[in-house]
Amino acid sequence: MRKALLLAGAVLLAVAGAAGAQTPRSGGLLKFAVGAEPPNYDCHANSSFAFIHPVRPHYNTLLKFDTTKYPAVKGDLAESWTVAKDGLTYTFRLRKGVKFHDGTTFTAEDIKATYERIRKPPQGVLSLREAAYVDISSIETPDPNTVVFKLSKPNASMLSNFASPWDCVYSAARLKKDPRFPERNIMGTGPFTFEEHVAGSHWRGRRFKDYFEKGKPYLEGFLAIFVAGAPMVNALAAGEVLAEFRGHSPADRDRIVKTLGDKAVVQESPWVCSLVVTFNTKKKPFDDARVRRALSVAIDRWGGAQALSKVALVRHVGGVLRPGYEFAANEKELMSYPGFSKDVNGSRAQAKKLLQETGVPNLTFTLTNRNVAMPYTPVGVFLIDQWRQIGVNVKHDQLETKLYLAAQQRDNPTFDAALDFNCDFMDEPNLQLLKYLSHDRSAINYAQQTDRTLDDLFDKQSGELDRKKRYAILRDFERRALDQAYTIPTIWWHRIIVTNRALKGWHITPSHYVGQDLTDVWLE
Amino acid sequence: MLRYIIHRLLLMLPTLFGVAVLVFFLLRLAPGDPLAMMFEGANVSKEVIEGERARLGLDQPMIVQFGKWLVGIMHGDFGVSLWTGRPVLYEIGIRLQLSLQVAIMATILAVLIAVPLGTLSAIFKDSWIDHLVRIISIAGLAVPSFWLGMIIILLLLTYFSWIPPLTFTPFFEDPWKNMSQLIWPALAVGYRYSAVAMRMMRSSVLEVLQEDYVRTARAKGVYERLVVSRHAMRNALLPVVTVVGLEFAFLIGGLVVTEQVFNLNGIGKLFVQAVARGDYTMIQGLVLLVAVFFVMINFAIDMLYALLDPRIRYR
Repeated sequence: MRKALLLAGAVLLAVAGAAGAQTPRSGGLLKFAVGAEPPNYDCHANSSFAFIHPVRPHYNTLLKFDTTKYPAVKGDLAESWTVAKDGLTYTFRLRKGVKFHDGTTFTAEDIKATYERIRKPPQGVLSLREAAYVDISSIETPDPNTVVFKLSKPNASMLSNFASPWDCVYSAARLKKDPRFPERNIMGTGPFTFEEHVAGSHWRGRRFKDYFEKGKPYLEGFLAIFVAGAPMVNALAAGEVLAEFRGHSPADRDRIVKTLGDKAVVQESPWVCSLVVTFNTKKKPFDDARVRRALSVAIDRWGGAQALSKVALVRHVGGVLRPGYEFAANEKELMSYPGFSKDVNGSRAQAKKLLQETGVPNLTFTLTNRNVAMPYTPVGVFLIDQWRQIGVNVKHDQLETKLYLAAQQRDNPTFDAALDFNCDFMDEPNLQLLKYLSHDRSAINYAQQTDRTLDDLFDKQSGELDRKKRYAILRDFERRALDQAYTIPTIWWHRIIVTNRALKGWHITPSHYVGQDLTDVWLE
Repeated sequence: MLRYIIHRLLLMLPTLFGVAVLVFFLLRLAPGDPLAMMFEGANVSKEVIEGERARLGLDQPMIVQFGKWLVGIMHGDFGVSLWTGRPVLYEIGIRLQLSLQVAIMATILAVLIAVPLGTLSAIFKDSWIDHLVRIISIAGLAVPSFWLGMIIILLLLTYFSWIPPLTFTPFFEDPWKNMSQLIWPALAVGYRYSAVAMRMMRSSVLEVLQEDYVRTARAKGVYERLVVSRHAMRNALLPVVTVVGLEFAFLIGGLVVTEQVFNLNGIGKLFVQAVARGDYTMIQGLVLLVAVFFVMINFAIDMLYALLDPRIRYR
């Protein structure tokens, strides 16, 4: 009871804090925890929150997500923009008077050099997001404050892509001298300059005095401390760090709130992350859609979400897109898909019948999982229990990441079924659906299937600028994906962030990658 | 004596070479691809992955990779971390200071506790002193260091709303901050460490006290304090030195869980991270480092033996 009251109080405080407008104060060092460490300093070559949280405050991007109105975007280095009606030309007017940390002036050439590096990386440069910009045919800079992107075909996700936190804008002059300069150096236009990185320990940034937004950032500096697990929870509880921006389990949230009392502020949100089950379609009997469908139908997602949300960071039932997102299926549509009915007994009977039909009523297989407790273990255990209830016997194989990935390797996959994650920096079908594309089109599809119907539907929705039409195509895609069940969604994650009351100006979003430039953050 | 030292030093080389061969090939024979770890969850083409593999030199035949690594070591270059791209020696160097300090502090604590208590326990065998010391030492053996560490942290957090600093400050920069971070892990580790040494000290003193030369000393009327300090303790220390030395070497890379509990940026934590990431070059460097420590400490123990027991030098 006491715990519930404390938690309720903390949530109320969050709401009250958000509602009551306070004047930001300048100064102070923000200490926050980061659960891992960036391997190098290049935004274009990284994909982990461990990178974004300490590095993003040093850079700007063309656009950025407005964390108070997510998924709306706003200008970062762009002051304004226009998109041609045919969706083939994006014109950005850039801010004037923006300086890099080395004192040089930012121009459109820096945007051009940055995006050329991402879409066509020079020899020896790694870019993880070439595919996102494959539709760009040219980048032009008619004047120092204008940049024009021309596309070869319409792309519904292009504007949001320009708000990607991974697309840090680099100096064209530095890139010209050395295209690999950003791997080992931090030099952007962002609100904080780089001070030091002590490997394995911490990362420190200091306020950039010439930042283009006058009066910002409010903080004098930040110190990102690399700490994970129980020590991180202890550090938050002791007030040694004021936040950890990825997310906590319900148990950790309760512990921090209990210790911090009224100093704790809890913010919660659905999360653009989900655990999916991948079936190895190259292996019998998972080459049969009926077997895969039976295993999907047997999962009581609604009951599971309710029960698991008490112990794990999963809570929401959804299809291939995050529930609540404008392009996601609503509950009525969802319930019409295989595996999403609320009639548990009926679904289990249907699953048993399907297995009977395929001649594997007493199916036995191994679920390959990773040895990461949260949320992999509870979800794995839940799935195995669900399958047990239709007479399927599943061995739970929790492996360390290297072996887990080895079991799913593309050339010689050895797994039967695996619990995999799908996590992106924003809600966007072009990102979340990659998991469901044919394996020759997607490096993150471990199910190994080839399904040109799904591929065609993906391409159709990707090029569709009319939102209603895109929504309809996405439903066709979703129905087909869940019917074939190569890869099936389980339960979507729920993001819980506990911050110290002293931290202000930070807003939770469904993505732990966005809203981390710390420009608007201040300390009470 | 010089010949003895040179002989022992030369024996280190084949040992270290054997370790190098084993670690290099076993790592590569184990299933899993470090490149798969690097690009986990990223939608990158096979060409990009193979490009990275070539850049890191992992596409070359194993024997070529091994040869290059060995040549590098001979030139003081242990390669670069596959994960961070920074030199292995740099990554190890910034963590070694902390690990060494914890190991030294824990050793000092252990010796300061174990030698007097172990000796007292033996002298006052079966008395209440002996029973108390035995309880302390058995409890130390039974309680894992990381558990004790967790209890220490929870107590500090509960009663003082305080935890030790999360980042390392070198001793000569700020001794107070340095000690406030490292004294707790040193206590947690030192207690278990002292329990091992205490047990060894007690049985060793007990054994020595039965020796003829002790009886002779007593018969000659030597004070009991002198019998114990000059005759018994010096000889009883020999096996304790071995235990303390080997434990010290273990502490350099073996404080895996304790370092996690206290969030210490030490060698043990680096080891875990390197293994989890499949960072071959880092694991190789770390294994070699630990092997060098073990070999050197064994060498030091042998030298100490020779100092404590002159008969060893004359053989």
